[in-house]
Amino acid sequence: MDPTQFDLDRLHEILEDYRDRKWALIPLLQEVQEEFGFIPPESIEPIADTLNMFASQVQGVITFYAGFSLKPKGRYVLRVCRGTACHVKGSRSILRLVKKELGLEEGETSPDYQFTLETVACLGACFLAPTMVVNRDYYGRLNPTKVVSVLGEYRKDKEDD
Amino acid sequence: MPALSQHQNQKGAAQVEAIAFTINGKKVTCRTGDSILSVAQKNGVFIPTLCHHPDLKPYGACRMCLVEDEKSGRLMASCVTPVAKDMVILTDTKRIVEHRKNIVRLMMAEHPESCIVCSKGNRCELRGLAARLGIAETGLYPMPNYKPYEELNPFIVRDLSKCILCGKCIRADHELVAVGAIEYNERGFSSRPATLMEKPLEESTCTFCGTCVSMCPTGALSARHIDFVGTPEKEKNSICGFCGAGCSLALGISSDRVTEVNPSKINDSVNGATLCVRGHFAHDYLNCKDRLGQPLIRVQSENNGPEFQPVEWNEAVSRAAESLAAIKRNHGPGSIAFIGSPKCSLEENYLFQKIARILFETNNVTSTGSINGQALLRRTEEKTMGAARVMPLSALERAEAIVAVNYDPDHTVPVSGYHVKRAARAGIPLVTIDSKRTGLAPFAGARIRPDPEADAEERIPVLISALAAKIADHDGHDPDFIKQFTTGWDVRKKEIDALLADLPLSPSEEKEINRAAKLLSGRRIALVIGADVMERKHGPQTADAAFNLALVTGGIGAQNAGIFIPAPENNTVGAMDMGMLPDMLPGRRMLSDKEARENLERLWNTKLSPDPGLDLYGIIQAAETGHLKGLYIMGENLIRALPDNSRVEAALKKLDFIVVQDIIENRTTRLAHVVLPATAFAEKSGSFTNMEGRIQAFSSVAAAPGQALADWRILGLLAQKMGYPEQYGTVEKIRQEIRRTVPMYSAMGNYRREWVKNAEKNTPFSQNDSRFEFSAIERINPSEKKDKKAFTAVLGALRWHLGSGTCTGRSARIEAWNRDSEARLCPSDIRSLGLAEGDRIRIKSEQGSVERGFISDPGLPVGRVFLPLGFNGNDAAALCSLETLKPPAPVWRTCRINIEKI
Repeated sequence: MDPTQFDLDRLHEILEDYRDRKWALIPLLQEVQEEFGFIPPESIEPIADTLNMFASQVQGVITFYAGFSLKPKGRYVLRVCRGTACHVKGSRSILRLVKKELGLEEGETSPDYQFTLETVACLGACFLAPTMVVNRDYYGRLNPTKVVSVLGEYRKDKEDD
Repeated sequence: MPALSQHQNQKGAAQVEAIAFTINGKKVTCRTGDSILSVAQKNGVFIPTLCHHPDLKPYGACRMCLVEDEKSGRLMASCVTPVAKDMVILTDTKRIVEHRKNIVRLMMAEHPESCIVCSKGNRCELRGLAARLGIAETGLYPMPNYKPYEELNPFIVRDLSKCILCGKCIRADHELVAVGAIEYNERGFSSRPATLMEKPLEESTCTFCGTCVSMCPTGALSARHIDFVGTPEKEKNSICGFCGAGCSLALGISSDRVTEVNPSKINDSVNGATLCVRGHFAHDYLNCKDRLGQPLIRVQSENNGPEFQPVEWNEAVSRAAESLAAIKRNHGPGSIAFIGSPKCSLEENYLFQKIARILFETNNVTSTGSINGQALLRRTEEKTMGAARVMPLSALERAEAIVAVNYDPDHTVPVSGYHVKRAARAGIPLVTIDSKRTGLAPFAGARIRPDPEADAEERIPVLISALAAKIADHDGHDPDFIKQFTTGWDVRKKEIDALLADLPLSPSEEKEINRAAKLLSGRRIALVIGADVMERKHGPQTADAAFNLALVTGGIGAQNAGIFIPAPENNTVGAMDMGMLPDMLPGRRMLSDKEARENLERLWNTKLSPDPGLDLYGIIQAAETGHLKGLYIMGENLIRALPDNSRVEAALKKLDFIVVQDIIENRTTRLAHVVLPATAFAEKSGSFTNMEGRIQAFSSVAAAPGQALADWRILGLLAQKMGYPEQYGTVEKIRQEIRRTVPMYSAMGNYRREWVKNAEKNTPFSQNDSRFEFSAIERINPSEKKDKKAFTAVLGALRWHLGSGTCTGRSARIEAWNRDSEARLCPSDIRSLGLAEGDRIRIKSEQGSVERGFISDPGLPVGRVFLPLGFNGNDAAALCSLETLKPPAPVWRTCRINIEKI
């Protein structure tokens, strides 16, 4: 399946709930992203029409927030914390290890759309430093062994078993 | 209800309190809500700014305008801080200056060091501020933010490396012209103004109005020049020579020629800080190589056929005068016709028709304005009884509601559209009634469209009438107004009800009309109606239905309401007012009006023929039959501008003698016996009347090419040669005469800007028995189910060209753009014709055929083709027939056609 494909009818269903409610741009974008995993660029113009905005404005909001993505992301989004506490506890090495394990740089998605690697300024779980989060699951007190085993959990071949 | 005071009474009624405070030790008072910056500027205190612009909402981005409150020690951005009572503001303390310096240093650290080669030169506001603050070296580590240089389009060069993020371009794009092509993308250091998907401008929704270019404080945005580099030597104000908006321009002059155009900075102009692509970029036609600079006489050479010989002015004018006088002597006054131009000034058109009417004793005077907008202007004048001639566009932004009928501002009079879009964005209800989707669609609260099964032109008058009836049914009309000022509503209402019983609304039509009626209920509407309405099929019915709608809501003569007609050319209104019509005298008085005629006879000390002259069709026909012998053309490329141009050309060739007075060598000058080189608006003095009824005077700012003379000077010479005793040595002399003979222009030329006068006698507002009359609802029977293969072609404008494109086609930038000439078809027609992308089509009418590419336009109804005028030598005009120009209305813009794939 091509991950850039999305269900246009579903998009229009979502849009109908928000018609002419300009203030609702961000909740609407969140819902679209929740539904498709990203905000399809083709949806920008329909969203702008629905809310009576300029398409460029909608794009401006999407690109402003790191939380919105115009590109499809992997099934699992890994965010390695690079906050101060985690940094002190060695998160730089953790990130280096994750990069090596997944063969990805920051911001990249694996060709099979299994993983996306990102960093984050703080996860608010400094007492568990160094930390990372995979989708919504938090992993703390990481060390190289633990990282490898956590990643293993999410690998495709593992999943297929 | 004095419509006259409309444009004077603009102050809001909200009560405001006066507050006193101190600025740099000076005690001043201001009103609540005033920003510190605005009060400082009013009191002559300079505060530097970068992101501030008086026409844009305060933004507070650049922080250059920091000021200090001595009491609290707080630093504030003065553009966004309202004055509070007893503030003690200091604008120039050491602390503030230090902050300003740091801000500029940081901007410079991010700025490329290319000042020496930057075309913004000394006009760069960043450089100006740096100099003012005494910053030479930033002393900071340079961190230039390189971005790709974009110059693929012929109009705007974008070098975002030089962007300082003031946001003016984005705000102008959103707040002033409401296009929304750009917005900030990303965040922090990487944020930059960007189009959707970061595409180049030409692939975005950008209209190339250039408003952002004029506003950019640095060299990030600049106009692309074809043959000029640098900063113009001086800047002079003038009035735009293209459409009827009448925008104020600041023309940049170098070596006595126009090299740059920006919106003028004068207050209360039509356009404020905006312009459109033509106004901003197409004036380079003034410097084109085809400008005429030498009087020419056609001579028959031995072997090469006719050729043009340069002569002196005296000889050329004598030749014209003698030959025309001989024709008049031998064949009578009716054998000569005069075609003037809605591009020439009021003074010139006045003089032109006067010469025709007095010296040649003929009413054969007209202009192409008569088939471009004047038909609707005349009808509206008649219906409103002259009581609503002053229609300032700024009123649209204070209107109660706006209805747009067949009005596509983006491609006709863009600046009028900015007013409508701004109004709609501010929450004023907008209803559009149109057969196609226009640029107004995203702003409209209701869009009334004819049912796709019906013929659009037949259906639109019905829909407008239905809307009027629906508003009345819901008690949204203005019964007091109807009772006091109008007559005939009860009868018309019954007619509409009967009409709707026979031709019921389709469910989709009904839905939109109900929605529109709700939006318009209880509001006096401002009606904007496309000037070409009368030139399409069933135009009179559409215009009348729209007029009825305005009356029902009490919209005539009321403040911020009325009928707005976006005149297609800079002096369409003025040419009509100066009597450039075969049956109309100056001042919109009919030739058949004995009193008007006698009055003019007394003032001119002459006898006037009471017989109406030939209109454009009549002139061509008389040329064909040989009844017409001589033709005097001022500022018109007749062969390009009229329908069926091969027939026009053949007719002109039959004439004994043609004088053409024009600025550019063109197809019509090539047929002339005498060619008199004239000057364009920038090279002469005069005045134009815009669509609002605003009389705007302008003076010469650039040098005339060669020996070219202003049209009025040439006419003065001609009158002199013809033995007319009056000498016309100055424009002021002609103005004086107009003030005397044309009462509605009695204020002309007193100031740079004046307004025409509304009729004061015999209108419903002058408290006598006259009433506005509701127009009869003429029933249009739906035409037979048409031939499946036949299409209706609509010939219309695209923003790149004005009219037939004689001038815009000589603009190097417009020519470099050179796209968009394709025919527009709706997707289902493309399918049914079996067309594939890249195919070419032949469009054939009874008159002629043109070849075109095509593009898909989902906004068009089935069975219609939109064909832009002005491209490829205006070949599209060949499709329509001259016969269509016959009275009552010049219906040349719609024609039946067939399409075949090539």
